[in-house]
Amino acid sequence: MSMQLEQSPTTGDEVITNYTINFGPQHPAAHGVLRMVMELDGEIIERIDPHVGLLHRGTEKLIEHKTYLQALPYFDRLDYCSPLAMEYSYVLAVEKLLNLEVPLRGQYLRVLFAELTRICNHMLNIGSHVMDVGAMTPNLLLFEIREDCLNFFERASGARMHSAWYRPGGVARDVPEKLLVDLGNWIDERLFPLFEDAMSLVVDNRIFKQRNVDIALVSREDALAWGFSGPMIRAAGIPWDLRKSQPYDVYDRMDFEIPVGTNSDCYDRMMVRVEEVRQSARIMRQCLAEMPSGPVASTDRKVVPPKRGEMKSSMEALIHHFKLYTEGFHVPAGEVYVATESPKGEFGVYLVSDGSNKPYRCKIRPTAFSHLQAMDFMSKGHMLPDATAILGAIDVVFGECDR
Amino acid sequence: MTVLHSAPRFAAEDGLLDRLAAALGDQLVAAREEYGETVLDVQREAIVSVLTTLRDRFEYQQLMEIAGADYPARAERFEVVYMLLSVTRNHRVIVKVRAAENTPVPTVTTIWPNAGWLEREVFDMYGVLFSGNTDLRRILTDYGFEGHPFRKDFPLTGYVELRYSEEDKRVVYEPVKLAQDLRTFDFMSPWEGADYVLPGDEKAAPPPPAPAPVATAPVTGGAPKVDTPKTTDTPAATGAGEKADAEAAKPKRARTTKAAAAAAPDATEARPARKPRARKAGDEGGAGPAPEGS
Repeated sequence: MSMQLEQSPTTGDEVITNYTINFGPQHPAAHGVLRMVMELDGEIIERIDPHVGLLHRGTEKLIEHKTYLQALPYFDRLDYCSPLAMEYSYVLAVEKLLNLEVPLRGQYLRVLFAELTRICNHMLNIGSHVMDVGAMTPNLLLFEIREDCLNFFERASGARMHSAWYRPGGVARDVPEKLLVDLGNWIDERLFPLFEDAMSLVVDNRIFKQRNVDIALVSREDALAWGFSGPMIRAAGIPWDLRKSQPYDVYDRMDFEIPVGTNSDCYDRMMVRVEEVRQSARIMRQCLAEMPSGPVASTDRKVVPPKRGEMKSSMEALIHHFKLYTEGFHVPAGEVYVATESPKGEFGVYLVSDGSNKPYRCKIRPTAFSHLQAMDFMSKGHMLPDATAILGAIDVVFGECDR
Repeated sequence: MTVLHSAPRFAAEDGLLDRLAAALGDQLVAAREEYGETVLDVQREAIVSVLTTLRDRFEYQQLMEIAGADYPARAERFEVVYMLLSVTRNHRVIVKVRAAENTPVPTVTTIWPNAGWLEREVFDMYGVLFSGNTDLRRILTDYGFEGHPFRKDFPLTGYVELRYSEEDKRVVYEPVKLAQDLRTFDFMSPWEGADYVLPGDEKAAPPPPAPAPVATAPVTGGAPKVDTPKTTDTPAATGAGEKADAEAAKPKRARTTKAAAAAAPDATEARPARKPRARKAGDEGGAGPAPEGS
């Protein structure tokens, strides 16, 4: 640990020197590669300067050099804890520029799996948050659920994490009926028993509350000014959820509630996520109950490739397939900013098209950027161990923050 | 246009553009609504007062994002794009200013504290300066990075790569060396507007037009009058270069008979210096160099 002595304030007769430590970049509680230069007065945090960008891969630049379809898998690699939620903003942005209609079954499937992604993400975040403040057991239970979620993703798309399953125009392929049946059973038989079991160990736990209640209080005004979104702004008591206020796909048909916090501390942020898991399960049940039949992706063959079987007999299908996988589709010139409610907050894509087959500019609005920036003012005056609780409650993943 | 897509829907407000235009006055350069987005182009110097107006009078409480964009063909090549969100009116607006490398944009950290990092990112990626931002450090790129990687003229591969050196036992930075050039395909149809010559089609291009005869120049004897004196041919003019060298280095199949090959004159160029021939009896008075050691 590098230590740098500085002249600094005194308490009483004793002269205490502030010292600066590096939190990270390799720290298990940093949730990735975050380096925070902390100035401490004893054990009190005076100032935090987070250094981000250690995982910067230039995703936005790479996307400018790929066709619209080739750019899609990069989104899985942003927030690798909720890959489908990352794809969601992008495919909606492309569809908005194309003004492309998605069949109802495609929309239901996307909402269904977006909510499964939310559960999967919250399992990881809640689990690691409680582990950061000292509880081991809940994490083991929650990882059981996460493992199930990943298995469902694998059954739908063939990949456990980097699904690349949402496509402009719908989803890549239909799911087996058995998968939908299993999902319904899983919610009752696996998700809730395990989840409620794990939460019963945490939510009323005295130690957990001591570590989280009244830590990093953020007023409503601050939450707005610092660009908070997702569970962070809801914990501050603002019922703002893009699924409700700016619904996309079939979210406007869903009946669910938005949990809000009352105290705006780390405990509220955590509890908002806990309730979101239950609401997500509720949305999933509605999706499963209402799931219509029909195509899962648009039948506009200028955007969505034809089925393999069609190509065996149709000349035109073969040409479409060839053109879509070499040149790709062209998107009309224009610019849109599309933001969806990812599990971590508002995940936005500012897409500029020049009419060609590649995005001219694709700016990704990460959720963690604004939250992490507020780390300094949220942790001021707190103890060093509180920094891990604050960081855990932010729910930061560096694939997305650094891009 | 009827809305078919299912992207996030927020209420479009009738007459919003007019009210914005009235409130912003001549600070507004252009305003439009397309694809359901409200886009405002504003004067660069007025960005602080514009955003303050939007926040205080039009209830856009949140600054969600600042994006940079590079349009190298423009005089002021960069665009700085502010995404604002109103949680009370449930509306989004995009505000854009233009900037060049040497024209700083006034900072908006005075309005929203989270603009600090967002401006740092635009500075890091594009080199747009923000006057008044007290902490304009790089944010995403490596410590000690040079250049602004998201500019359109910055190569995708960058200039520097790093690796762990087993000899030095540390990470070393080296210039990028690519075993194969990065392939960029342009997908343009050669029948529709591609303005390059396809490989193998060079001769199909029409010959350059013959120069018009210069009538005024009297034809006098001797060397023709030229404006530019004849100089050494460039490799481009002669066809010399790496490609030609590589072609020349290839072993040629013998096209001539052995006897003819033997009779062929020796190559005169690019031959290793030979040892001078030893003087023979009939060589007196020759112009050749004196042999060594005689």
